[in-house]
Amino acid sequence: MSAHAAEAADLIDHGHAGDDGHGHDELVENNYMKVPNVKLAIWTFLGSECMFFGSLIATYFFYLDKSIGGLLPKEVFSIGITSISTFILLTSSFTMAMAVDTAKSGLMSKSRNWLLITALCGATFVGFQVYEFWHFVHLGLTLQTSLFGSTFYVMTGFHGAHVSVGVIWLLMVAKLVHSGKIPAERAVFVESAGLYWHFVDIVWIVIFTFVYLLEFAK
Amino acid sequence: MFRKTTKQLSDWLIAATSSRSFALLAPIAVALLLGACSSNHPRDTLNPAGDGAQISAWFFWLYMILDTVIFAIVVGALTIALLKFSKKKGDDDSLPPQNHGNMKLEVIWTVIPTLILVVLGVITIGGVFKLAEKPAEEQKVIEVDVTGKQWWWEFDYRDSKISTANELHVEEGTQVALHLTSADVIHAFWVPRVSGKRDATPGRSYPLYFKPFEKGEFVGQCAELCGASHARMGIKMIVHPVKGADSYDNWVKGQLAQAAAPTTALQKAGKKVFETKGCASCHTIRGVKELSQRSRTTGPDLTHVGSRTTIAALALTNNEENLAKWVKNPQSVKEAALMTNLNLSDADAKAVAAYLFSLK
Amino acid sequence: MSAKLHDIEALQAPEPHMHYERPGKTGLMDWLTTVDHKKVGVVYWAAGAFFLLVGGLEALLFRIQLAVPDNDFMGGETFNGLVTMHATTMVFLAIMPMTAGFANFLVPLLIGARDVAFPRLNAWSLWTFLGGALVINASFLFGGPPAAGWTGYAPLTGPEFGGTGIDFWWSGLALLSASSMAASINFIVTILNMRAPGMTLLRVPVLGWMMLVIQFLLALSFPPVTVGLILLGFDRMFGTTFYNVSMGGDPQLWQHLFWLFGHPEVYVLILPAMGIVSEILPVFARRPLFGQTAVIFSGIFIGFVGFGVWAHHMFTAGMGPVADAAFAATTAIIAIPTGVKIFNWLGTLWGGKMTYPTPMLFAIAFIPIFTLGGLSGLMHAAAPLDLQQHDSYFVVAHFHYVLVGGALLGLFAGTYFYFPKVTGRMMSDGLGKAHFWLFLIGMNITFFPQHMLGNEGMPRRIYTYPADAQWDLYNMLGTIGVIIMTVAMLIFVYNVIVSVKKGAIAGRDPWDAATLEWLTESPPKVQNFDFTPIVLSERPVWDHKYTEGMEIIAPEKGESFHMPSYSWKPMISSGFVLMLIIGILLNTFMPGNWLWIVAALAAVGVVGSVWAWVSEPV
Ligand code: HEA
Ligand code: HEA
Ligand code: HEC
Ligand code: CUA
Ligand SMILES: [Cu+2]
Repeated sequence: MSAHAAEAADLIDHGHAGDDGHGHDELVENNYMKVPNVKLAIWTFLGSECMFFGSLIATYFFYLDKSIGGLLPKEVFSIGITSISTFILLTSSFTMAMAVDTAKSGLMSKSRNWLLITALCGATFVGFQVYEFWHFVHLGLTLQTSLFGSTFYVMTGFHGAHVSVGVIWLLMVAKLVHSGKIPAERAVFVESAGLYWHFVDIVWIVIFTFVYLLEFAK
Repeated sequence: MFRKTTKQLSDWLIAATSSRSFALLAPIAVALLLGACSSNHPRDTLNPAGDGAQISAWFFWLYMILDTVIFAIVVGALTIALLKFSKKKGDDDSLPPQNHGNMKLEVIWTVIPTLILVVLGVITIGGVFKLAEKPAEEQKVIEVDVTGKQWWWEFDYRDSKISTANELHVEEGTQVALHLTSADVIHAFWVPRVSGKRDATPGRSYPLYFKPFEKGEFVGQCAELCGASHARMGIKMIVHPVKGADSYDNWVKGQLAQAAAPTTALQKAGKKVFETKGCASCHTIRGVKELSQRSRTTGPDLTHVGSRTTIAALALTNNEENLAKWVKNPQSVKEAALMTNLNLSDADAKAVAAYLFSLK
Repeated sequence: MSAKLHDIEALQAPEPHMHYERPGKTGLMDWLTTVDHKKVGVVYWAAGAFFLLVGGLEALLFRIQLAVPDNDFMGGETFNGLVTMHATTMVFLAIMPMTAGFANFLVPLLIGARDVAFPRLNAWSLWTFLGGALVINASFLFGGPPAAGWTGYAPLTGPEFGGTGIDFWWSGLALLSASSMAASINFIVTILNMRAPGMTLLRVPVLGWMMLVIQFLLALSFPPVTVGLILLGFDRMFGTTFYNVSMGGDPQLWQHLFWLFGHPEVYVLILPAMGIVSEILPVFARRPLFGQTAVIFSGIFIGFVGFGVWAHHMFTAGMGPVADAAFAATTAIIAIPTGVKIFNWLGTLWGGKMTYPTPMLFAIAFIPIFTLGGLSGLMHAAAPLDLQQHDSYFVVAHFHYVLVGGALLGLFAGTYFYFPKVTGRMMSDGLGKAHFWLFLIGMNITFFPQHMLGNEGMPRRIYTYPADAQWDLYNMLGTIGVIIMTVAMLIFVYNVIVSVKKGAIAGRDPWDAATLEWLTESPPKVQNFDFTPIVLSERPVWDHKYTEGMEIIAPEKGESFHMPSYSWKPMISSGFVLMLIIGILLNTFMPGNWLWIVAALAAVGVVGSVWAWVSEPV
């Protein structure tokens, strides 16, 4: 009984009891898990995305070397060009980190600029991918050609779509930072976009390593 | 090491008890499952006529007894609780004991099921490996390539090059190895009294091994949804005795013969129909017309179609009348059947039926 | 109620002031723009209940076909379509949405929160679910329903063999997947982050926990099947070769992707029902839940192991003995935590002082009926035995015992139990009992003989069977059972409709219950709680009533709560996502550039509406 009373008093003293969500920004407020709501949501979402890309990549490997006819990976991949686009995407992880860092320090206009640079890198990457697809199609590898064609385009295509969504997301965040709707106290919104961006980057590293590089290591 | 122990244990258990002696042990189980093993049911999985089905039935009774005991415990405890711990008329409002649990009990009802499951797991794994065993090399094996097609089965005997449809002939006490595949969608080969089922998947070939130990006819059917007439994709397995007029060897001899020549005028007319009306674009009759390549739409080999007891995957019993009905309008017999309706006249249908039926 | 220290019904607090950015709507507009988790929950539940009737009607129709041998009430394609739609409807459009209804309405109340973490996203999930339901059922009007079974095995669903119904099926399911994923994120954040002061994780009620576990299952298990569906869609729309055998594709890929979702999915269906039962039994036994921590941890454990057992649906697919053995063993493990639950429920009843209003009847019936279904599941887990039972009526019996006798009975129990909280009125107990007995008897008459049918070699998904197979008696019983269940369901529907208007007034705490949701008014106000509860035990309200175990803090006079404003944005952006799917479907009927035109418009619409969404003041 008295233990209960003590716990109650403790909770009330530490202000938890007052936390009934009036007047403040619940998405940002530090909560039970000491992680803001948005950030926890993004983490959960990324967990789900891991399963999504995991399934796509597993499909690619399930079907690796099982194509009947059609071009082989080695006959179409150009490590040089893909390395450049990979490098650009990796760079964007750095610029994204800068955007988050500056936002956390309250340097909002700097953060906006870093966000724009990151979006530009992302768009460039997508541009490279469009070129790559176009080039492969001209070499004779289409969605319908073979299992390799199907798995390759769908896997990398969904990654490209994720990068594109990321670019739009970054632009939106940049706009909100610019218009002051994301002030320093809400830097977690920049951070969340950053988490997504880094994730998409990591997925690409996995794809680049295991799909492109491994092909030439064999 | 693990494999070996589990196998030994399960071998021992399987040898120690036949499914029948188990059944004796399980009167409660039988009561619970009402007439589950009503023994003269044509597709009774618990009345095995092959070694595969026997192993499955053995496992059934093992689990049935265990499940009955567990179920009885749960229902028994629940019943007693309901009887003893209901609020009765005139009871006051005082609260029953407010305890939150009991660690000892918690441990007991976690550990005991775990132990039960460990033992079951070992036996089960033994059974899995036993069923997957390849038949020994020395013995005689009837090897058949089985192709599921919408909605019939093609059986190609590896040794004798016989090709039949829907009725699989094997021999009592002889090992059978089926190699299952499909020409279109996934089907599953299932003759409940002889053996468990196995999928026939396009692009893959899986073996199914069993040894029938009872002669007679056993029915079954496709067990994987495969389209509109999945329900009409029957199988009949005929287990021949080793010796006698009805022996497997005699059957093979009969099937190896070329198609019989027509004798009556009607049969001769029927043969004409077969040759001229397009039947031969899908069906083979050896000595009359042979197809080299089989594709999804092509039909069963008709060389000895008259010797079958049923046609169109058990959709009809085989007689002249039904044959005529079938060739005149296959889709009226079997929904969406992939045999073209060639709009035969009644006379043509009658003739071709007479001819086909004569192909014993 | 002699021993009570505090009377919940007598709670009084000064009315706090509600603060919105923009004033709300009323009437129908209110329902369309609502972001209130309670209203969203009610719509989810109502949609689920409606589809329960639709799915049941489908079952009724195909059971009529099966009543007698060689029946020609309907043909094979129609039958397959009805079975496929029955299962798809029941699983995705009835049980899951009704569960979502409970989750939405109850979770914030259970944990003492004012709302979910993302109220507008919550509304988005609702609309997207309704869009998916619409798409799947639209197949009836355009070219016939999907007919490849709810498991949609390739290549029967592929471009060569599957009809247009498959396009509605896969694209509708993709929408449902998006909806579930958004919802799962929302609820994970809500339960982890928004608990009332003092509500540590182990004080979260079992129902809250089970809802948390299934959100993880949804978040992690839907992506594989989504990938599977996308590959199927690409095969059908663009001629890719994923399941195309002649190009080297392997139909078993689909089976793995499907069951990697499909098995966790069955626990998504059952765990909430187990949570509901765990809430109800203690209330009417008037004791705490026996071994609450064990019940919670067993649920978590089921969730974990549930991910490692999927291929027990593929024992006949020829995976080889090593895989078969491994999956047989992992599957059996699930019996242990499930048994822990069963025994703890029995422990709760043992020593109690039970009364039997309708919710208690359903909750008690859950125990033996579910156990029976679980035990037959265990038989399937024995691979050598499953070779006989797979795709036979034995499986049909197994999963209806766990789905109808488990999940559905649990949801019925929950409906009777929480109805007073949702509507402020009691459901009729007499009608409830009629519903209970008729349904229980009907379901056993239908499904018990199916064990025997399975043993007697009757495969599932067959639209007809010959008389000489000797399956007529049990099939006739099956049909009679559905008719009894239909009567039961009509009574239930009548009960709900009448009780909403005419039921007895419930008050805050009609069952003398234990958890936080019973602290509020019935129905709860928008802000849920006028008081701030300080939770000091796993039975805060009970302890407040009987042992002085909880503090509640009344708001100061004139205090104001900030509540989220109404919004059209969730519905609009969900509408644009639906438009994308419609583009895909147009492609089915009018191959050409439709897809790209509509997709481009839809994409612009999605981006635009999301932008409007994020810039809207909450
Ligand atoms: C709510 C849904 C639900 C639930 C909870 C379960 C629970 C279980 N299921 Fe079931 N299952 C389905 C829904 C469900 N299933 C569906 C829909 C299908 C068919 C899909 C399709 O093909 O269309 C299916 C099919 C299915 C198969 C495939 C059959 C086949 O097609 O060949 C298997 C195989 O292992 C299986 C096993 C199990 C097991 C072991 C459990 C276990 O979780 C059960 C555990 C419970 C108990 C065992 C009882 C209580 C325990 C005790 C009292 C303790 C003491 C016990 C012991 C010591 C043993 N299920
Ligand atoms: C949670 C899921 C769930 C639920 C609740 C049910 C409920 C029922 N199911 Fe089903 N069922 C499945 C999930 C479910 N089922 C699945 C997954 C399959 C596998 C499908 C496949 O093979 O792909 C299946 C398959 C299946 C089969 C096997 C079909 C076959 O293999 O050929 C059968 C056969 O009897 C059946 C029967 C029933 C019956 C009688 C009910 C009854 O309990 C239904 C009771 C409800 C009613 C009777 C409603 C009555 C109300 C009205 C009639 C009013 C109508 C009014 C309006 C619409 C306004 N179901
Ligand atoms: C388009 C190809 C096609 C043509 C043309 C065709 N058939 Fe068939 N036939 C089939 C198929 C496929 C089946 C198996 C149908 C089933 O059981 O579902 C079949 C089955 C049969 C059977 C039953 C065989 C058995 O073992 O059960 C007979 C008899 C038969 N056909 C006779 C004929 C005759 C006679 C003609 C010509 C008038 C003909 N068929 C033309 C495809 C064809
Ligand atoms: Cu072939 Cu079902
Ligand atoms: Cu499963």
